Amino acid sequence: MANWDELAEALADYQTTCNGNARLRKMQKDWSKLLHFIAEDNGVRFTMVVDHGEIVEYGQDHTGVPDIIVTTDSETFCDMFWGDLNPVAKYLRGEIKVKGSQEDVMRLDAISFVIWPD
Amino acid sequence: MGTSNGDDTGTHRRSTGRSAGSSATGVPEPADGGSRGTTAAPGEVRLRRALGLTGATMTSTGLAFAVIDYIAVVSVLTYAAGVSGWMAVMIAGLLVAVVAGVFAELNGLYPTAAGIRLYISRALSERSALVITFTYLTTVVLVIAADAFLIGSAIRHVVGGPPIAAYGWIIGLLVLAVVANLFGVRLAGTVQTIVTLTVLVATFVLSVVSLFTVHASYPHPFGLFHGGIFHGLQALVFAIFLYAAFEWVTTGAEEVSRPAVITKALFIAPVLLFAVLGVFSLALAHAVSFSSSHGSAYPQLLLGKAALGEVGTIWMLGATVLAAMNTFNGGFLVASRFIYAAAREGLLPRVFSRLNIRAVPWAAVIALGVTSAVVAALVFATKQWLLLVAVGSVLEAGIYAVAGYCVYALRRKDRARERPFALKFATFFSVFSMVVFGVLALVGAFSDPQHPSHLSVLPALVVVILAALSLLYVRAGVPRIRAKAEARSAASRPRRRPPRESPPSVA
Repeated sequence: MANWDELAEALADYQTTCNGNARLRKMQKDWSKLLHFIAEDNGVRFTMVVDHGEIVEYGQDHTGVPDIIVTTDSETFCDMFWGDLNPVAKYLRGEIKVKGSQEDVMRLDAISFVIWPD
Repeated sequence: MGTSNGDDTGTHRRSTGRSAGSSATGVPEPADGGSRGTTAAPGEVRLRRALGLTGATMTSTGLAFAVIDYIAVVSVLTYAAGVSGWMAVMIAGLLVAVVAGVFAELNGLYPTAAGIRLYISRALSERSALVITFTYLTTVVLVIAADAFLIGSAIRHVVGGPPIAAYGWIIGLLVLAVVANLFGVRLAGTVQTIVTLTVLVATFVLSVVSLFTVHASYPHPFGLFHGGIFHGLQALVFAIFLYAAFEWVTTGAEEVSRPAVITKALFIAPVLLFAVLGVFSLALAHAVSFSSSHGSAYPQLLLGKAALGEVGTIWMLGATVLAAMNTFNGGFLVASRFIYAAAREGLLPRVFSRLNIRAVPWAAVIALGVTSAVVAALVFATKQWLLLVAVGSVLEAGIYAVAGYCVYALRRKDRARERPFALKFATFFSVFSMVVFGVLALVGAFSDPQHPSHLSVLPALVVVILAALSLLYVRAGVPRIRAKAEARSAASRPRRRPPRESPPSVA
């Protein structure tokens, strides 16, 4: 089980990697979303704000009304943000649950795919 | 927001001066300070843009209502005596209501876009789920190809030109659909709802008008089984096809605030489909001679002409174009995203997971377009469009039987899991689904409406070939692709996440 500090460390790396990827920024330039994340195993909740493809902020707890809600366990979140696992397999097995439009769900996965092609 | 590393406010931002959840996304901040997303009623989540009941119902109805449905009605009339096709549509609608209950329970259990594959893998096995899902996907390709062929034929009928002009229209429309998809152009939810409603109303109104303007008889209005029980069942299996794909609304399970929206849509859509296609069936049998409609790729235009002359023809051409737009929009989207996800998971070649700059899986979209063009060319050359209906009917009835089994098996394997919608008399209805749709799939497998006077093995042959190819691919192709993907992944870079220095504390 990962705690918030570990999640925050993973998120910081994710933010740097995403925002530093020119292709991703171009691809997601029309994508501005508010994302909520829920770690089911320890109850940690956090929010991420994406503005025109740039992750402008993230933080503990939920704020605002989200466009997307992602629910899984804290370890999966950590591995996902560090790019150590492909979220699609877990999503298709029902281990990562997402609420939001199909387009947004795909865009979310596209981020991982573009910054970590394999 | 709460506390976090090195930031007193608990938020990590890039000096934009924005606060989470407000101006960054243009989301209006709730007056209570911004926890609206977590204050929903139990079992309900709050999303900024959630799919409502109208949208979900129209999505379900629109997915089912393709141009090929007009042809499927001809298939129903091939076996239903006189004008009794409407009875087959009604009975099929009642059977589909059971299917709606089955999918409502499964959707509540696993509310995800990957729904059907997840149900089957939990109830049977991962491999079975892949084989069935890949075979099922071919239905989408068949419907896209059929709609391309049918709309091409309809346009050529109206604007004229040599027969080959129809194929020109087919290719032109498919290229248009592919390009629109590659550029990320798609119908917005509201537009899709309006398009679906327009098609339904246009078809319904013209059908009703034809009942009053065409003076002909109504032979055997209740004589569905007049030609024998087997013919009645054959009519029924093709009537089931009229509702095919209404259950795909479950792929929108992640877009709704609560599963009940999908449940209600699953039950309402078949009613709308019955109302429109039941009347259309009655009108077509009443106003157009069977010899004319049976050999035609555009029976709806013939009905339009019979009802209102040239105005009616243009009227129904408009409905046909709109219905095809819906199919191209929904079909390309559902199928290309499925292919993308399968490629990302290592089930299909890696090229299908490639995205263009608009985040569209371009290889998947092009592959769908090319496959549809090839299938449409085969239909164009062989004139076997009714065979597509037969194959689609068998696949759909088969899927409904499998869904019935999933409910039956999961009630035993996953008894403790919460079921937001629990099918009443689940054992009875799941067994009922397996038996009834299993029998109908068998009946359809040996029924070719092109040659109704005798049994045909052609539909069974096509389905068996599709299933065998799918099985072969899952057994031989998938392990190789997965091994390659794993090798590539392991070799590409080491694990990035730093190892833990001490046991983690619970947050």
